[in-house]
Amino acid sequence: MKFKSNKRRNYPLPATCILSATLLILAPFSGSGAQKRTTATPTSATDRNTASTFVARAKTYIKLRNGVQSKLPTLSKDSTPEQITAHKKAFGDGVRAARVSAKPGDVFVPAAGEYLRRMIRTEFKGQDRGEVKEAILEAETAGVPLKVNYPYPETKEVSAIPPTLLLKLPELPKELNYRFVGRHMLLMDKENGLIIDYLRNALP
Amino acid sequence: MRTTVNRNPALCLTLALLVVIALISATSQPKGFAQDLAKNPNAISAVNPSLNLTLPLKEGSVRFAIIGDTGTGSSQQYQVGAMMEKYHAIFPFAFVVMLGDNMYGGEKPKDYEVKFERAYQKLIDNKVKFYASLGNHDQTTQVNYEPFNMNGKEFYRFTKGNAAFYALNSTYMDKRQIEWLETELAKDTSEWKICFFHHPPYSSGGKHGSEKQLREIVEPIFVKHGVNVVLTGHDHFYERIKPQKGIYYFVSGAGGKLRKGDVRANSPLTAKAFDTDLHFMIAEIVNDSLYFQAISRTGETIDSGVLARPRKN
Repeated sequence: MKFKSNKRRNYPLPATCILSATLLILAPFSGSGAQKRTTATPTSATDRNTASTFVARAKTYIKLRNGVQSKLPTLSKDSTPEQITAHKKAFGDGVRAARVSAKPGDVFVPAAGEYLRRMIRTEFKGQDRGEVKEAILEAETAGVPLKVNYPYPETKEVSAIPPTLLLKLPELPKELNYRFVGRHMLLMDKENGLIIDYLRNALP
Repeated sequence: MRTTVNRNPALCLTLALLVVIALISATSQPKGFAQDLAKNPNAISAVNPSLNLTLPLKEGSVRFAIIGDTGTGSSQQYQVGAMMEKYHAIFPFAFVVMLGDNMYGGEKPKDYEVKFERAYQKLIDNKVKFYASLGNHDQTTQVNYEPFNMNGKEFYRFTKGNAAFYALNSTYMDKRQIEWLETELAKDTSEWKICFFHHPPYSSGGKHGSEKQLREIVEPIFVKHGVNVVLTGHDHFYERIKPQKGIYYFVSGAGGKLRKGDVRANSPLTAKAFDTDLHFMIAEIVNDSLYFQAISRTGETIDSGVLARPRKN
């Protein structure tokens, strides 16, 4: 049985240089799609600052809502529907009372709003993205109030946020979600179901 | 001591008749009936000719059912539930995976009862466990509902025999969830890796269809870490997708809602589709094979087959 020689082939120097350069150029595009996308961070200092201010404001809300939550009986992970409903209502009522003076733009401050709109606009370019936009606009969300501190109606659909977009947006604390209602973006508390803030015409 | 014996002939005859009836009844359906069937699947057609089980019922196999888009509380959902009960009697599956949209149009305590508990009451009574994932009609608070076995988590993993199951939240596939999925899959040594969630990366649905942005993110992870099977709902029909990059995809989103005629004709993705009635699925893992059967609301087998897991060298 014959084996292939293990002897290394000697490539001429220019060819090696071209190969190395090609590999360097292609390197950022190698690997899985997810790996590429999990590194989406704002490129300019202004954007980084805007994103961090926005997240800091979201965290301020988290501190307040955690304070309210700590005064409630803990909701066990094996609860009954009655316990789930009662906890959600008490939690929501408590947060509403604690931030009674909250107003639109408290978290989505103008600079953050512009930054997010730009991110979304970039993401929704192209035909495929057009289909996604259509799907968001078709979701049964008519009647969801654009009002801070109001509960998102349980009877309404929750439109899925395209993961390709989610990975470009500033990462929220785990208790919060971005949501779309028509063209508008909401900031939602997952556990008490309240609309924390909203951004008008976030979708182009 | 003397014993008084009642010599009334009519009473004696009645007692004898009752004994005979009891004996016949015990012979026709002995204790541990389902377990006995597991050893002798051929007995099924003799007992209930309308049920046609195509799964092998091997001892020690992993047996489960799959339902999606169930929570309407409609009579059709209940009919699917009743058919699942019938199949459970001949194919005693231990658990059910739920592909999201577990509750449409509200989640008051009464909704949990009408749209879930009563529809699958006998299965719940028989200790069949349900593992839910969240759809676009579900509130996150469902994660704390005990019968859904989510343990307070939107995305989670559990194992059964040689298989690992990953419940994902495809409505909100953020960085946190993607990183968790990558980490868990990377260290998973299970022979079968099965992901289930709501939105289908591949589907021939006219209303929704393939969720390409979701696919763009999750497919490379599935391929990289050897996920074998992906179970999804959202489109209200049944579709078995032709294998994509070595992965078997199913759309099973008509456990309570139907979108009649929604499968696009001549779709290159379709291996088998059914969009004229509601359905559920049952599956059995035996070593390197996963047997599946899709069953309509009325008990008709609409698809069945076996998936092979590629052996690692």
